[in-house]
Amino acid sequence: MARVNGQIWETRPLEFWDRAKELRAGWEQSAESKEKIVGQGHGAWAGAFPAITIIEDNPRGSTIAAKDMPFARTARLASEVRGWGRELCGYHGVLWGCQFLGQNPDGTPFNNRKLVVPMPATCDQHTKRGIQCRDFEPVPQWQGDATVYVGENDFDREVEMVNHRVYNELKMINDIERIFGQKFDEDAMREIVGLYSKVAEYRAEIFMMQMNTPAPLSAKDLYSFYTLGGRLTIDPVELEKFWKLVRDEIRWRVDNKIAAVGTERFRFLEAHPPQYSFLKYYRYLEQYGAVCVGSQYTNFTAAVYERKPNGEVAQRETNPPRRQIGIEEFKTREDLFRRTPELNIRGPGGFKSDENHRPYALNEFADMYHCDGAFFWVWRCGVGCTMTRKEQAIRLRRAGYSVLTYEGSAPGDPTDLDEKRFLEQLDAWMETNNLVKYEN
Amino acid sequence: MIIAGIDMGMENVKVVIMENGQIRGRGKNLSGGAKRASAAEKALEEALKEAGMGKDKLEKIIATGKGKFDLPFADRCVSEAVTTAHAAKLLCPEATTAVDAGADETVVVTLGTNKLVDEMAINEKCAAGPGIFLRTIARRLELTMEEMNELPPVKPEGPRVNDGCVVFAETDALSLLNWGASPKDIAAAATDAAAVRVCTAINDITGTKLNCAVLFGGLAKNAAFVNALQHYAKLNFVIPDEAEYAGAIGAACAGVNA
Repeated sequence: MARVNGQIWETRPLEFWDRAKELRAGWEQSAESKEKIVGQGHGAWAGAFPAITIIEDNPRGSTIAAKDMPFARTARLASEVRGWGRELCGYHGVLWGCQFLGQNPDGTPFNNRKLVVPMPATCDQHTKRGIQCRDFEPVPQWQGDATVYVGENDFDREVEMVNHRVYNELKMINDIERIFGQKFDEDAMREIVGLYSKVAEYRAEIFMMQMNTPAPLSAKDLYSFYTLGGRLTIDPVELEKFWKLVRDEIRWRVDNKIAAVGTERFRFLEAHPPQYSFLKYYRYLEQYGAVCVGSQYTNFTAAVYERKPNGEVAQRETNPPRRQIGIEEFKTREDLFRRTPELNIRGPGGFKSDENHRPYALNEFADMYHCDGAFFWVWRCGVGCTMTRKEQAIRLRRAGYSVLTYEGSAPGDPTDLDEKRFLEQLDAWMETNNLVKYEN
Repeated sequence: MIIAGIDMGMENVKVVIMENGQIRGRGKNLSGGAKRASAAEKALEEALKEAGMGKDKLEKIIATGKGKFDLPFADRCVSEAVTTAHAAKLLCPEATTAVDAGADETVVVTLGTNKLVDEMAINEKCAAGPGIFLRTIARRLELTMEEMNELPPVKPEGPRVNDGCVVFAETDALSLLNWGASPKDIAAAATDAAAVRVCTAINDITGTKLNCAVLFGGLAKNAAFVNALQHYAKLNFVIPDEAEYAGAIGAACAGVNA
């Protein structure tokens, strides 16, 4: 392999990359399926309704914004004139704009949503998701409650909260069967739950391996494929095969010290998604030898780690603990829904809503992933994303990490991004860490 | 080693010629808008003249400031955070924190022992341009920059302008003027608002090293602003004589080992 200036570690392209691109392209083709009842929202359960597909706003909106910026701008404007201002997450502005314009970026008619299932979350942007579809034309909406509370861990309370969410979801499934005349396929759901559990294990292992130096993956890599199977609903069998492939390759890279960034000498973390129209800032920072090892958004969706009393790093216990039983023991529909990951309250994925853990999570992240610094986007939108961000920056600074914050409008909306000023601030951040840019 | 440091700011370009850590010459010019390079060359000529040397004696030219990339004749560009720290080490060796409040940007650094900079904070977008804001307000109120230095303290019951956004602040100032408030009271309120915004960057520093703070930048010359900033930051700033040239001095110092 050709070496670049400042190269410390051997680096190689990711071999699973082509497969990731195939899966992503397949999702993009099938996302706006004309043959299915298209819903907007969130939920792996949709795979158990053969005639229904669910599209989540984030990946669809960000994909459109990344591929066709002029159209995305037109779509956001269509949302703005309907009263959705720039405090709205850019992803939604773009996707909702498609609905207001009545067309997809390729000019084909927009497939109006027939049902909406906003994500149950503390983030106001996630919970807003159904509003405009439901207002555009009368379609059913199921709004799950976010299982959140403030205070010390309370096991009994959490059991009741899980019960509440399970019954919410069971009612939704019954309603969908009744309204759309569709049969919920429990065998298919059993398979989905089993495969997704395996995927979760692979992902947890991958993100654990990401703690190694050099990092086998960079955040820029992760943002290209980590949504496969999470935010992007694809065939669960193919999904399981894909993540196994990724896990195996990352193991090999760690064993052989193959770096994502050959110049790695400064590791930093992020908290939430980057400006998708300007991902080249990761490449810019690589010229200084800086690599982003991940974010709460990427690495914590698989598992939240913690340092145990004996000093080991391991997955944080879910609370209430997941029942460690085999998939074949799921006898009823209720059993299956108790197993779905979004029902965990203070476990993986709960980093946004767990107010006991959230303020300290990034310090633990920085410690476990051997970071030197942190970079935080402070978004104009998305209260759930940016809430407590500046406080977290101060907490990290107090712990000795070098932190830079930068403001923008939203990951999917580059309106407020001053690229020149942003790069200059990155220069300042790197230079104050005694890092000089390698000449290309 | 003879080095020219150039601070290509948004309002003014400042140049120093330094030889072995001593300032030999200084030059200053308006930043020249789109003609920054020629404005900087003119200031460089002035500095060289004061130093009594020709351009051929310069071993390096180091640029900093918002317009640093517009100077093709510079050997290297250095970020403002680094030059602020270098200038503090030279001009006020006992300083633990340095603040540079200029026309466009506010930079705060705490000085390290094992490395040059411990912590760094740069103003948020809405807190940009405090110097330009005050110059604009002075023009609106028909006050000179000298008059902007000598403003009455802001009274609790007196006029106030928005301290989160310069656009709102300017609108408030015009409204107050139409209602008959005195230009000096409005200017004092605007200065107070600028100090609040600059202070947001200081607040980002975790506060462990704020015991001896030095203030640089064009705003360090404005006594009314300094008083207001000291009030909000709860600090007593050391302001060296060369405060306005600190960026250029820091650039020249950064060039020594570059």
